Amino acid sequence: MSILQIHAQPSRTTVWILSWFLFAIGVVSYFWVSRGRHIENPDDRVMPTLRQMSQAFADATLKPAEDDEVAANADRESLVTKVRQSMLWKDTLATGRRFLISMALLFPAVLLGLHMGMFPYVGSFFLRFVLFFDKIVALSLLPILFIAFGIDELAKVMLIVVGVAPTIILDAFNLTRGVPKEQIVKGFTLGAGDFSITYRIVLKQIWPRVLNSIRLNLKAVMLFLFAGEMIASQDGLAYRIALLRRHMGMDTIIPYVLWVALLLFLIDFGMRTMNRKLHPWFQEA
Amino acid sequence: MATARMVVDKVADPASLESHAMIRIQDVVVEYGQRGKPPKRILNGVNIDIQPGEFISIVGQTGCGKSTLLRLVLAEEMPCQGQVLVEGSARKQPDRRCGYVPQKYSLFPDRTVLENITFGLEVTEVGIFGSLSPARRVRRQEFQLEAIGYLRRMGLRESDAAKYPHQLSGGMQQRVAIAQALIMRPKILLMDEAFSALDPGTRAGMQRLIKDLWRETGTTILFVTHNPREAVVLATRVIALGRTSGEDDGANVVLDLPLPDTTDELEIAAHVRSIEETTFPSGSAEDDEQPGAPEA
Repeated sequence: MSILQIHAQPSRTTVWILSWFLFAIGVVSYFWVSRGRHIENPDDRVMPTLRQMSQAFADATLKPAEDDEVAANADRESLVTKVRQSMLWKDTLATGRRFLISMALLFPAVLLGLHMGMFPYVGSFFLRFVLFFDKIVALSLLPILFIAFGIDELAKVMLIVVGVAPTIILDAFNLTRGVPKEQIVKGFTLGAGDFSITYRIVLKQIWPRVLNSIRLNLKAVMLFLFAGEMIASQDGLAYRIALLRRHMGMDTIIPYVLWVALLLFLIDFGMRTMNRKLHPWFQEA
Repeated sequence: MATARMVVDKVADPASLESHAMIRIQDVVVEYGQRGKPPKRILNGVNIDIQPGEFISIVGQTGCGKSTLLRLVLAEEMPCQGQVLVEGSARKQPDRRCGYVPQKYSLFPDRTVLENITFGLEVTEVGIFGSLSPARRVRRQEFQLEAIGYLRRMGLRESDAAKYPHQLSGGMQQRVAIAQALIMRPKILLMDEAFSALDPGTRAGMQRLIKDLWRETGTTILFVTHNPREAVVLATRVIALGRTSGEDDGANVVLDLPLPDTTDELEIAAHVRSIEETTFPSGSAEDDEQPGAPEA
């Protein structure tokens, strides 16, 4: 048998089949078990059937959110209006807003890391503190944040910033320090000043790597965002998932989970593509 | 043509005619402190005077402080004792007086060849938002034209201008790096093992190029190499660093050899031998083609 050797060379078709195999097993066994449970108990709510899930998903995307009263004559609305009044749309929008705000707040973190790496005084002022902050488990701060900032948007955004910013700062700092000394000396000999060297040489060089590190931290961002939403919120994807848990609404929860995964995948893919297109010189090590 | 202008500029420059010593290294001592250990002495009272227009090679064994000496002239590093004067003044950080071509990382990887060469011109003249105004755009085109002149002079094609450094061979990268430094018309060109990572054929071509450029521009060149032959072929004066006494006393000048401009192989071989005898007394001359690790 040669299939377990390092030098094994599976054909393209084999690779394709193998890579989808676990998906197939997962999907098939889910519906197998689900069918069995529904034969035993037609009211089973733990493992909804495909039809139940698609019905629930259609309700979530096409029917106006329950807490809305606009929807008296909903049937006559166009598809776009329907979607825009739907639960899924509103939840996605709410979560997306928080996500974008926290991403925007991560940008200053990059700049701070850059300056810490470039200017020794800035570095010695912040480094120890950031290292300390990095070790704090952000979720353990959640009660403090809720007490300090209230339970509205600010606390949730702060949770994300507190949780992810130290990592980003330290990453940017290390990337800055990783720029070869030669490049900086070269900059000086070509007549560049501190400002030009920091922004036009170093920041420009580390930027694709910074984007990469933000991309890799997307999961952490989402984790903190969901934790915040599940605990204290009136809307958002995680709020909905937590809310439906109380009603055992698995038929909506499962599509929601997949929807979130799809969104995250698209953001990740978009950032990766953008990074490659914008920085053709970038060689990933 | 770019080459003609370089010559004219050099002659018209009054500073290089007035001052007699371009670089003056006086009683320089460099020590590196390590925590918990006595400081390690690298250079021990080095004295060197370099006149304008000289082509100096600095040779010596790995770790004898060649690169340290170069960094002192760059003002990237400060001596613990003594002083390093460039055109009569001490400096706090590297500036435009010295062009710099290191062995590695000599180009900005995020810029094309053309952008690498024009970087110096643009950064000294155009602000970060400067490229927006039309007048600056015209100026920028002038820069690019000048850069293309240098590119040609370095033996590169115009089609290379849009490439990124990682698409070029090692030799081509160093050609661009030299163009990038020379376009700023530095008084001094500092080259730190600039050709050491190149294969022998490319290396010989680069040696001819730099020698021609030196003749045209009259720039003072400081060329650090661990290869005695390269030092002799290029320079008008070879300075060898070595440890005179104990292991911990730091290095000093062990040989200061003015060289006639010669292509006679026998003569070159004789000089190489005398350098090897002083710098590598144990007879362990370093391999010619060894890439040569950058030293402490």
